[in-house]
Amino acid sequence: MQNAKDSFYMALRTRLATINPERTILVRGAVRPGILVEEAEAPFSQIPSDVFVLRWQGLGVDVDLASTLVAEECEILYQTFGTQSFGGLDRGRLLSAMDEELVAMLQPFYTPKLNYGSTPPAAMLTQVFWDEPGFTASVTLRDRLSRSAKVLVYSYQEQGE
Amino acid sequence: MSDTAPRNPVSAPQMLADALLRSVAGTTALLRVTGANTDTSQSEVGLVATTFEDVVVSPVVMRKLRPTWKEGGESKYELLVSATSVETQINALDIGSAQALFALTLAVTVDGKDYLIESIASSEAFGAPYLYRLLLREAGQQAI
Repeated sequence: MQNAKDSFYMALRTRLATINPERTILVRGAVRPGILVEEAEAPFSQIPSDVFVLRWQGLGVDVDLASTLVAEECEILYQTFGTQSFGGLDRGRLLSAMDEELVAMLQPFYTPKLNYGSTPPAAMLTQVFWDEPGFTASVTLRDRLSRSAKVLVYSYQEQGE
Repeated sequence: MSDTAPRNPVSAPQMLADALLRSVAGTTALLRVTGANTDTSQSEVGLVATTFEDVVVSPVVMRKLRPTWKEGGESKYELLVSATSVETQINALDIGSAQALFALTLAVTVDGKDYLIESIASSEAFGAPYLYRLLLREAGQQAI
């Protein structure tokens, strides 16, 4: 399942860089597209704003098939405080922009599965695919506006996985 | 915002803070700082650790905060760090600011134990910091 998780993240990362190249984050001294995997970064007490954070949650396995089908739930969290020059009054617009970017990032709902354990990443035989996102209601906490979306990511287990 | 009163800034607050930290058995802390990523695709998915470097800051004083026991919760500590020591390391590593240095820090090691940074605050005089306060909690990583 790790290859599917890595491929899902890299697909979204690549698509975000095309959709909105200006959405970036400085992590460990490197400027990257504004999306990160929570479990692969240093723990943070509060999720960074204006970027997408992937949090892997539930797991399901269907072994009654020719190939084992694995499904993992990914929660994508994001929040914004608005911009300083607008005094934060544009936070609703910025959250809407992130909603649209996320919908665009998730399409098409599939990507080739790659093994990032080798350099360069090795293409595998199957694809990773996912269903439509389920958005939660936005949460307002003083000047912070946040939302999350849940996506079920599916992949077939291949030999060696 | 800096103090605009007609007084010349001196390094007395920094020297006083260092003296106070040393007088209460100031010790040494190591900031485990990550290097800039070179292989982004692998380091972004937690596959390859980036390069680490231990940055020494001294004198520092560590104290345990009021214990509020919670199931599964880690103890919290406050680390008082000399601003002159941080300034020296910022110049040596050619990093823009103390905030950037702490942002690059994955863990803080004191007496061989690792701690994670929860929040950072600084105390300033004449617009210059003389002490940094790091709120830390125990790290639960495996020793390899």
